[in-house]
Amino acid sequence: MTAVSLPDIAAAPRFSLWNRLKGLSHRSATAVIGGIIVAIFGLLSIVAPWIVPYDPILPFTDKLLAPPSAEHWFGTDGNGMDVFSRVIYATRYAFGIAIPAVLLSLAIGVPIGLWTGYRGGWADEVTLRFSDALRVFPLIILSLAVVAAAGQSLINVVLVIGILDAPVFVRVVRAEVLQLRNSTFVEAAVATGNPVRRILFVHLMLNATKGAMAQVAVRAAWAVRITATLAFFGVGIEVPTPEWGSMIRQGAEFMATGQWWVGIFPGIALIVMVLGLNMLGDGLQDLLDPRRRASAR
Amino acid sequence: MTLGRFLVRRLLLVVPLLVFIAFLNFMLVRISGQDPTALIAGPTATGGELAMVRAELGLDRPLHEQFLVYIGNILTWNLGQSWVNKRSVLNDIWLRLPITLELLFWGVGLGALIGIPVGLRAARHHDGRFDQLARFLSLLGFSTPTYWLGLVMILVFFYFLNWAPPAMGRISLLMTAPPVVTGSYLLDGLIAQKWDVVQSAFAQLVLPVTAMAIVAAAPIIKQARAIALDVQGSEFVRSAQAAGLSGAVIRRMVAKNSATPVITFVGTELTALIGTASVIEYIFSWGGLGQWGLQAIIQADFMVVQGYVLTLALFSVLVFLVIDVAVFLLEPRAEMHA
Repeated sequence: MTAVSLPDIAAAPRFSLWNRLKGLSHRSATAVIGGIIVAIFGLLSIVAPWIVPYDPILPFTDKLLAPPSAEHWFGTDGNGMDVFSRVIYATRYAFGIAIPAVLLSLAIGVPIGLWTGYRGGWADEVTLRFSDALRVFPLIILSLAVVAAAGQSLINVVLVIGILDAPVFVRVVRAEVLQLRNSTFVEAAVATGNPVRRILFVHLMLNATKGAMAQVAVRAAWAVRITATLAFFGVGIEVPTPEWGSMIRQGAEFMATGQWWVGIFPGIALIVMVLGLNMLGDGLQDLLDPRRRASAR
Repeated sequence: MTLGRFLVRRLLLVVPLLVFIAFLNFMLVRISGQDPTALIAGPTATGGELAMVRAELGLDRPLHEQFLVYIGNILTWNLGQSWVNKRSVLNDIWLRLPITLELLFWGVGLGALIGIPVGLRAARHHDGRFDQLARFLSLLGFSTPTYWLGLVMILVFFYFLNWAPPAMGRISLLMTAPPVVTGSYLLDGLIAQKWDVVQSAFAQLVLPVTAMAIVAAAPIIKQARAIALDVQGSEFVRSAQAAGLSGAVIRRMVAKNSATPVITFVGTELTALIGTASVIEYIFSWGGLGQWGLQAIIQADFMVVQGYVLTLALFSVLVFLVIDVAVFLLEPRAEMHA
């Protein structure tokens, strides 16, 4: 009898973050590149106060609209504030609004999606009609109008983005629950006497929120975009705030007269950040959603 | 189901939707907490005059009655007047709607003309270099803020290259507008045979329409590609391939079977794009519905905001209606959308 040859454990690649990333990047390079971009911006937002050369709202009154130079990499704006420092600092507003807004959407959308998908009936019908009805409004305009009506504050911006975006999560979670509702594990959970609450928030929540998780990055991208749009129209965020949209608003005045640096740099930062989140989201959706992968084959 | 019965059922569904739209619109002014009384009565009004204006506007009545009054007003085509300049809201909507629709029409048309072939080609060469490029460009388009794109175009093509006229509306400031027939300077110029007007109107259109097309093309590429991939992978295409049908025939089959989801998508997208058109109008001082509405939002002129949001919502309701009829005619077994 010959000995069964065992796989050589020592030769197997050791688990490491690097190997893990390499493996992932084979399956979805998009997700990895997007993730790296988002991580860099996240890091910048944390260390911003220590790395920016100047206070983002300190006006150099003798250097209004100075073009990019060694002293001011991205030039100065109409108030004489350092554009580079402001662009870096603005990452704080991007994350500071997008994260709570998406969490709020999740907190509203996931329970409603679970409940309506599981229970069906009139509640399901009403929710569905409601979220369909909301779709006749262009989201940008509705957000602008509601924040303008509700009053200028960061809290209102977060609330409006979070609430108006919740139907996305309702739809995704509901669709997944509908597929799982009659599966064996739910039946078993019901048969062993679990209360509905437990079935919803333990059994189904663990199994039916993959799609929602894949959506998180995409919705965060949307939240960052819409925050900047609101700020561009002077809604929700006051003017000297170091926020990309607000900076582009000021830059718009100087675009037709050639002081391009005021508006161009914050725009590029905004695009790269949103692109990173979108790439991350797009890649995650491909990785997590087997149907998308199948149809892409 | 016959087309007649379908239409009746579909129109019945619109009624609660319209009530919902009106309610949301009504609430918009309520949550603003703005009291237009002082704005309308003027700064010298006495307490008695203020009370009169309040009664006239119905602001002294309970909320549900106010809502009924609002519904009644809408049904009798009374959308009130601007709090800022006292102009009739309905009049301004009629005046400005065609201006916005012109931009939307050319922009979305050009966007579809670019987006659909690119998306289909990307699907055909799935995972190839072209596909990857198309996917990236589409994501880039999704991530670029409309207003910034517009500003960059003004910077490059007006300030640096001097190819485009200043972004000051729909026609050169030195020119008199042609007599109004359609509301589009381009068409009106053609009708009046004023070639300099046509030329100027066209020059003014180029930048905003291009910006609109770029923004519109991004989702169109993505969706056209996804739909084509879906159809490509389906059984009937595989059997057609197995049967040895030529590439051209199969391509025609894919295009035909993609039509329904494409039309449905165009509907949802048009809703978003009329919002985008507003932003572009604002950047290019276009003077249509969008610039008017956005300015009202900035100035907190909520009577105008109400009319503006209502018009956009009604536009989408109409688009969805037309689309459902189109889908019904193409594919009678399709279910109704709300």
